[in-house]
Amino acid sequence: MIVRTLLAATAVAALAGSAAALPQLGQPAPAFTATDAAGKQVSLSQFAGKTVVLEWTNSGCPYVGKHYESGTMQSLQKKETADGVVWLTVSSSAPNTQGYFTGPTARAWAAKEHWGGTAILLDSAGKVGRQYGAKNTPHMFVIDKAGKVAYMGGIDDRPYSDPESLKGAKPYVALALADLKAGRPVATPVSQPYGCSVKYNSAD
Amino acid sequence: MRFLAGLLSSLALAMLAAPALAQAPGTTHHVQASLVADAAGVAPGQTIHVALRQVIEPHWHTYWRNSGDSGEPTEIKWDLPGGWEAGGFVWPTPRKLPVGPLMNYGYEGEVLLPMTVTAPAGATPGQPVTLKAKARFLVCAEICVPEDADVTLSLPVTPGPAAADPKWGPKIAQVLADAPKPGLLNAVFQPKGPNVALAVTGTALKGADLAGAYFYPFAATVIDHAKPEPIERGPDGLTLTLASGYDFQGGKQPASLTGVLAVGGKAYEIAAAPGVPPPGASGLGPPPAPVAAGGGTDLGLAAAAAFAFLGGLILNLMPCVFPILAMKAASLAGHGGGQRAEARRQGLAFGLGAVATFVALAAALIALKAAGSAIGWGFQLQSPPVVATLALLMLAVALNLSGLFEVGTSLQGVGSGLAGRGGMAGAFFTGVLAVVVAAPCTAPFMGPALGWALTQPAAAALVVFTALGVGFAAPFVAVAEIPGLLSRLPRPGPWMEVFRKALAFPMYGAAAWLAWVLAQQAGPEDLAKLFAGAVLVGLAAWLLGLSQRRAAAGGKPVILSAAAVLLVAFAVAGAAWPQAKAGEIASEPYSPARLAELRGQGRPVFVNYTAAWCVSCQVNDRVAISTHAVESAFARHKVAYLKADWTKRDATIAAELASHGRAGVPLYLVYGKSGGDGVILPSILTPDIVVKAVEAADK
Repeated sequence: MIVRTLLAATAVAALAGSAAALPQLGQPAPAFTATDAAGKQVSLSQFAGKTVVLEWTNSGCPYVGKHYESGTMQSLQKKETADGVVWLTVSSSAPNTQGYFTGPTARAWAAKEHWGGTAILLDSAGKVGRQYGAKNTPHMFVIDKAGKVAYMGGIDDRPYSDPESLKGAKPYVALALADLKAGRPVATPVSQPYGCSVKYNSAD
Repeated sequence: MRFLAGLLSSLALAMLAAPALAQAPGTTHHVQASLVADAAGVAPGQTIHVALRQVIEPHWHTYWRNSGDSGEPTEIKWDLPGGWEAGGFVWPTPRKLPVGPLMNYGYEGEVLLPMTVTAPAGATPGQPVTLKAKARFLVCAEICVPEDADVTLSLPVTPGPAAADPKWGPKIAQVLADAPKPGLLNAVFQPKGPNVALAVTGTALKGADLAGAYFYPFAATVIDHAKPEPIERGPDGLTLTLASGYDFQGGKQPASLTGVLAVGGKAYEIAAAPGVPPPGASGLGPPPAPVAAGGGTDLGLAAAAAFAFLGGLILNLMPCVFPILAMKAASLAGHGGGQRAEARRQGLAFGLGAVATFVALAAALIALKAAGSAIGWGFQLQSPPVVATLALLMLAVALNLSGLFEVGTSLQGVGSGLAGRGGMAGAFFTGVLAVVVAAPCTAPFMGPALGWALTQPAAAALVVFTALGVGFAAPFVAVAEIPGLLSRLPRPGPWMEVFRKALAFPMYGAAAWLAWVLAQQAGPEDLAKLFAGAVLVGLAAWLLGLSQRRAAAGGKPVILSAAAVLLVAFAVAGAAWPQAKAGEIASEPYSPARLAELRGQGRPVFVNYTAAWCVSCQVNDRVAISTHAVESAFARHKVAYLKADWTKRDATIAAELASHGRAGVPLYLVYGKSGGDGVILPSILTPDIVVKAVEAADK
């Protein structure tokens, strides 16, 4: 018994930081609880029965900037939340890295950008980010009403920071949400995420 | 417009980033970009190479054609005069740029990205031409900044091909020479559970140093870039195990896996089609770990040392240490009662002996590994001369305990069979002997710690082995050092003689066991030699005893003593150099090919990595595997039972062990009939564990 416990401890030590169960398409989305910009505890479980969008962000990242300066991100947030979709914007930037949010700085950013989501989650420890294997900002996940992962990847098919690249882009997240609303299978359920690297703490 | 937008966003970003950057406000230029040509001019219709040169600020990087988990490759848009044409970048092999849990591919320092530029046949010699382009690139350190650069290059149009540019000609030629070469290697890929096996073969790989081989995919969606790419060598090439990426989600797979294989300082473009890996691409295990390499941070040094200490403690309980425990008990019993100072000194000497031996073993292991020998823990018992010598030594110790001859005057001299001296030296060598016999018993924890240590710099490996030695010696030293424990030991008395003679029998057992190991390793002829040696040792021990009794009676038994020493020398010389000989072939010996074949048939497979000298393995064999319950479970579930016998050095098995993070046996793996990775069973087995694992494997 001791032996097994110690073996398990060894295994855990070896795996530390590499999340065991990353989200899989069509599988239940990993559960999480985090504090939002208003200081409230937000859990994925409280949105059971609703479509949930997870958006990884970093206010200083040029790729995030492309979608906020052009207003495309905010208009999608407002349109979808009006339709009953839950939109969670997650910042996994560690303290002293680009895009690190505290409650007040997140609220200030939201006001400045006219952000239109449901909640901004403060994940500076990178817990939720590592759970989802979030690589980039923006990295997007859509969870369907049954709580299963329906889309993961980039917000569109243009992995460039140049705002010009928005023209004619295929908006994967908007299309996935439309497919879900219409009861169709999501046409493109997985794509390559792109953007800045998530500025995780260097715990591992 | 696009440039303006780019500039504005760059400026905005620079303002945001300013606190983190410690740079002059308003400048965004982390890269100096320019165009350079390999020729001093260009003739009409001629094709030359022009390179985009990036001089990147220290600690910043730009990206390869696949930037990895984030980032964006450098782009160039030409604005060429009519009729002039330019090709795409020839991308030099990038370097890995890990960022936290992510992996990027790119360039640091200075990079040249060459392209072809072709002049139209109608170009007018004597007229200079100006080649204009706009380069766009993302440059990142902790943060990323998109930059634009307008670059131009003026070249004379010459009547004939111009001379090479003295500065850039050789540099561009070097970049082109080093660039990944297509068409030299064959490659196939095959999904395997969450991974993809990429098998690459070709004459270019034969005899190449495959350590550090790495596959850089062209597409960002085929593999998980941040995962390591374990290497398996084969006679014709190698197989990399890649963590599959988005393209493999939901049971799909891409039509091809294209990219660059960087290996042994060279780079090759490969295009792998789906297929079955050829047998020549695997079977020889991973390349030997470079001893001086860093990395392997999975298990921190402190944690590894702690596990090694625990492993050392547990070694005291392992079956093959029992004979040594007997010696320790005898030695301690000799100090029961008042002689505390002496007991303390001897405790320390024993501890020093144990630790010194671990350190010496580690040093030898490191040296041997550096020499490229595919060996693992326990190697000292894989050498028949060592086994034979140890068997004779155990016999001598047993005869001493039986009272045939004396070494020193008290029981604490048991270990001085090695030292030839009592007291401190005897205790020291008891420590040495304890380690030599105990080491092959790879206790469960030693696996990870040793596996880790062997891939580490020598200093780290030594720390871990020292911790192992300290753990091993700790119980004995504690008893010797703490008077409270020591004074609870029984007082010396006539019982000691009885006790001592009883203790002789574990030592005879140890000698018999070593003889059996030798028989497995070297065969019956060498066993006969060993037995002859054993008889001589017995005779020598008796003669020595005789001379000691004569000396005690006041005689001068020089001849008897000399004869005894001579006999021992003969015995060791005769028995200790047996010829190694091929062992018996088991009915189902393990080989990677056989394993693959059985798995291909959809059968569950049980693989037992074992060795004759590994007592834990033998115990497991007897009490868990060779039982009726397991036998019938194997039959019920049509389990194929493969035995990987590591009694003698075997590079393939050493490599297999290493690939599971082990440096020694036992290791038990159960492969399910429906594929997937093997399940590792605990190092201490019960029939129940095996039966349950087998049942799970048949599902």
